[in-house]
Parts: sequence; C-alpha cells; structure tokens
Amino acid sequence: MTTTKVDAVVVGSGAAGSLVAAKLAQAGKSVTILEAGPARTVDDMVSSQLWARRLKWQAEPTTSSGADPLSVGFGSARGTGGSALHHYACWFRLHREDFNTASRFGKGLDWPFTYDDLRPFYDQVQTEVGLSGDADAEIWRPEGEPYPMPPLPIFAQGEVVARGFEKLGLRTAPMPMAINSVEYNGRPACIQDGWCDAGCPIGALGNPLAVYLTQALQAGATLINDAPVARVLANPSGDRVTGVEYHDGQGQLHTIEASVVVLAAYVFEIPRILLNSANGGLANRSGAVGRYMMAHSTCNAYGLFDEETENYLGRTGGQLMCQDDYAKDPARGYVGSFSWLIANALKPNDLLGIANMRPELFGPALETFLRDAARHLATMTFVGESLALPDNRVVLTGEKDHNGVPLATVSHSFGPDAIACWQAGAAQGKAVMEAAGARESWVSGRHQMHTMGGTVMGTDPATSVADGNGAAHDLPNLYFAGSSLFPSTGAVNPTFTISALAAKSAAHMLEAWRSFG
Amino acid sequence: MATNAGRRAFLRKAGAGLGGLTLAGPLGLFDAARARAEGAPLTVLNADEGAALDALGETLLPGAAAAGIAHYVDHQLAAAVPLLMLPYLDFPQAPVDFYRQGLAALDTLAGSVHGAAFASLEPDVQAGMVRGLSGANPEGWSGPPGPLFYFVVRNDAVDVVYGTQTGFDTLGVPYMPHILPVTDW
Repeated sequence: MTTTKVDAVVVGSGAAGSLVAAKLAQAGKSVTILEAGPARTVDDMVSSQLWARRLKWQAEPTTSSGADPLSVGFGSARGTGGSALHHYACWFRLHREDFNTASRFGKGLDWPFTYDDLRPFYDQVQTEVGLSGDADAEIWRPEGEPYPMPPLPIFAQGEVVARGFEKLGLRTAPMPMAINSVEYNGRPACIQDGWCDAGCPIGALGNPLAVYLTQALQAGATLINDAPVARVLANPSGDRVTGVEYHDGQGQLHTIEASVVVLAAYVFEIPRILLNSANGGLANRSGAVGRYMMAHSTCNAYGLFDEETENYLGRTGGQLMCQDDYAKDPARGYVGSFSWLIANALKPNDLLGIANMRPELFGPALETFLRDAARHLATMTFVGESLALPDNRVVLTGEKDHNGVPLATVSHSFGPDAIACWQAGAAQGKAVMEAAGARESWVSGRHQMHTMGGTVMGTDPATSVADGNGAAHDLPNLYFAGSSLFPSTGAVNPTFTISALAAKSAAHMLEAWRSFG
Repeated sequence: MATNAGRRAFLRKAGAGLGGLTLAGPLGLFDAARARAEGAPLTVLNADEGAALDALGETLLPGAAAAGIAHYVDHQLAAAVPLLMLPYLDFPQAPVDFYRQGLAALDTLAGSVHGAAFASLEPDVQAGMVRGLSGANPEGWSGPPGPLFYFVVRNDAVDVVYGTQTGFDTLGVPYMPHILPVTDW
C-alpha cells in the first residue's frame, strides 16, 4: 500500500469531475483524478457503432431491477471522460419551475436554491465550453446570456418533422448544443456526420477531452486510470473526510489523503462507495444515500415519408426542440414536463440504430425496412419528467467484485405521474408524425434514459445528503458532483446542469478552502 | 481537407495535456466473412453452436451467415471486452454462457418439435421458430429469455451485415468517418 497527499482528490473524470478538477488545479491546488476505467484518447473515438462500445459499460456488474429498470450498461461508462465522452451534447437549462415541484404540488423534491442561483454558472459554462443555438427562438428558455455561437444547421429530417409540429400549432426551435457551429476557442466546427455516439475526435463536441479534462491536466492535475475507489476515509469523530482508498490494476490498495474529496463517479458508483465506507453508509444520517434514483421516461416517434429525409446528416442528439408542453399543470392529470429532441442523426445498427426501430421485423421484411428507412425515416425522442420517489434506490448486494468491494443493485419504477406524462407525449408524437404527412407512423415502447439521484441535495439534512453547494451535510469537505445531486429531473438532458452545478460547487470549494484545514 | 486539418490541430492541442494517455491496446485484424469462407475454426463456440448461430442469423437477416455472424460472435467472445450488444442490456450472465445456453435451447427445441437441429430445418420452419421466440419463451424453451436471445442475435446479424462501411454502402448511407476503423470490429 502507498499513501500520498494532495489538496483534492476527484473521483471520476467525466463531465463533472473534469470541470471541478480544472477549476481547482487552475487555482493552484494539487489535484489527483482517480478514474475507475482505462485510458481513452481522441484516437479511441473510432467512427463505428461497434467500436463505440469500447467507450461504454465496463462498469462492475451493477444489477438493475424494478418495473422500469435503469440502464447501467448503455448510459454509463468507465474510462477517461466517463459517459460524457459519448454523450450527445444536448445542453438545455432546467426551467424555473423544475426547482420547486414539492412546494408547488406536494410531489417530488425541491432544490435547495432557485434557477437564479444557478443561472450565473450556466452562463459561465456555456461560454467556456461553447454552445450553439438561438436563444430568441427558444421561447421557453429561462433568462440567460445568448449563446456564443449561431445555431447548427437543419437538414431535411428536421424540416419534415417541424412541418408536423407547425400543423398542430406547436413551435420548434434549433436545439442548443455543446457542439460548435463555427470554430470556437481553437476547436473546429461540426461536420454533421452523426457520429456523436462514437465520440467526437475533432473536438467540435464539448466533451471532457475537448475542454475541462485537458484544462485540468494542463494546469497540473494528475489522472490515474484503472483506479476504482473502494472507500472514502473519515476522521475518528466522523465530521471530516481525510481521503480515499483505491485499488490499482493489480488489485493493490492505495490511500490518497486529501483536504477535499469530490465524488463524481456517476449515480451508481457514488452510493456504492458511500455505503461501503462506513457502517450504515458515510454521509447517510438521512438514510437518503442511494435513494431517489430517477430517470427520464422516453420513447421515440417515427415516420416513414415519401421524400428523402437524409437522416444520416446532423447530430445524434437532434436538430430541433419543442417544449410547448413543459409547463407543469396538474389539470392535465399529472405533474410533469416533457420535451422533444427532433431529428436525431441515425446509423443502421446499434441499440438506437434504424434496425431496432421495428424490433419485431426479421428476415426479408427487416431487410426491406432497412433499405426504406435508411432514406425515408424521420424520428424524434421524447424526454419526460419523473418525480423523485424514495423507494427507487441503490443498495449493496452480498456479492463482491474482484477487489473485494461489495457490488450494488438498483431498483427503479416510474410513478403514476411519469407514466401519465409519457402517455401524453407518446400520443402527441404519433400525431406530429401523422400531421407531417408520414405514410406510416408509430411510437416505440416506454424506456428510460439520463439517470439521476442517489445523493440528492436539499435544505434539510434529515431528508437529503448534500447541501446547495454539493457538500455533504455532515462532512463539509466531502463534495458530490454530477447528476446524483439532482432532486428533480426536469425534462431536459442533464449534462449542462451537471456542469453548471459542478462549477457552482468548485467556486464554493475555493471560497471555503481555508475551513478545510 | 479542412476537417483533417482541424482534427490535426485539435489532436496537437489535446496531446499537450494528455501526453501520458495511450490507446487501450491494438486490436487484431479480423475479417469474419473471410474466416467463414476459408473455414477457419471457431475458438470459443463449437461447430454445432456455430452452425446454429449461422442459421439463426441468416433467418433473422439474410446475408448474416455469409457475412460471418458465427465467426464474428466467436471472435468477440474470445476478447477481453466483447463489443457485442449484450453488455448494453444489463443481463446478469456472462456472454459466452448466454450464447451457449441460447443456442443449446434452440437446438433442443428444434429437436423436440421438428426432429432435427435448427440448422437442418427448412427456412420456413426456422422462421416459424424465430417468430415464436420473438415474443415469449416457447413451450419447452430452456435458455435465456427467448425474446432477449432473439433481440441480441438479431442485433449481431445487423452488426455483421450493415454495421460496417460495406454495409452502409449497401444501404446507400454515406459512412463519413472521422476515424475509419482499421478493421470492421
């Protein structure tokens, strides 16, 4: 066993961990980033849906159960850059009303602050990373600085689907994306080839390798790969953390002592580490560690059109958005928001590929469908809110991994509000495709994406794990970064909010540094 | 040209901060269609399992057998990190066991209902069995969940036929790679 000492240890090199590490290192702190997975470089972002699988999963086998099991393998990743390395860069802000569903409706959880408290960090991050979009066209957008780049181009698929929205009296706008529409900060513009899911090796997409991880390393941070953290260590009185224990690739245990520990290891691993760190779990006076696991409900609406849709062009995340049904209104029969990601760039194969849009087809019928859909299909992705429920949770199992660390399991089921919200969206999706003139239209079954919760933030230490700065209520030098902090999902992709929250936490750490000793 | 220049510039910039990072490891060249055409032996699956997988793949998507689905899956099962669809799906079983048990169940069911291994059945009989497998476990099915097995092997078939630049070309889809893979998988 070796022991080293640094100012801060950051567990996880994804979107949140990389941002925090960059800010601390740039402020002169000694920072070590522990990444559980292997090294990744831009050369690993090979343009192939098969090769792209190297960027995903490879986590310890967290099992998943419940009526709506959370996706562990597809949405998460071990390796440099974490899951942000293959994220689609749909960067939306949460809306004002996403911060207080409990106060307004008596359902879900409130955030410990308002949109106004997070807004400066959204503005900061969008300038640092670079966002493309049209703030004026986004009539639903909360207040904020306009985007630093013009919107990305719209292709035939987007125009076809937008026609359907317009006929139904619904509005669309260019999707805001952390993808360059023009050269930005020395990074080139996107070439619209739809390979976002395989990682963007040219740096047009603002993943950790393109922005914050590179900044962290250039500022002197150290990255250690293949270093899964087993435990967070605390002092005898249990009111301060002192560092972490991790295993190296050979299974040897090491200790890093640190003034600050930042857990940015994604929603399944953070509760696993905390529950393994102390009897009953570290930072778990509330009993909320591992609870309130959430995800967006989702489905896709599809249409086959007579015209060519050029669905291979653009970005995996989409071209346009619609948030006309974002306002939460219990009169609809549910509390929740939903939005649409319109005109996703498509590839023939893989989980979200064209072939799986009609999973019941096989044989010559599948071949016929593929040849038709490759030229004439249009699609859009539903993003539905799901309220926090305490019984959706991560717990440890009796099994252990190869290092002797207990494995985790997660159970998740959507509540009635989320299901009703999804049903409303699915009906609208089919109506849009029909209105757009599809000769055939259909909607997929209910799935889930964008996992959140597990160390939720709140004002009450009796019911939440972290405070509004992302620090553990009972351990002021233990921070969390990432979507594990979210008390609510809203109905937008989470990475922009993950990044804004991480920037907020990093700023607080630096302000409070003297108190860490 | 502008794209390549942009990529080179970005690689230089990123390399300044990521100089200590390396590729996870080179992958060996492998051509599943050629391996099948030349009768290369399978390394993980046995010959019966390979024959069943070729036949199932061909039933799911015409062309999958010639494209080498059995050699492709076998090659992946021998890898430290198989690049198959299965790990996406959080099914708590080792991939090699999943395929072996699924293929064994397929042949067992074919034998009990039709008196022959799946690969020996007529195409319309094979299609009928696959249809029965796609929605629920058929009576007498003893493998992993039938619909999941159908879904996974169907995706393997799509991967091996259409998941490469050659497959994209067949569909008329421009491949437009940033980084072209040195081998298809």
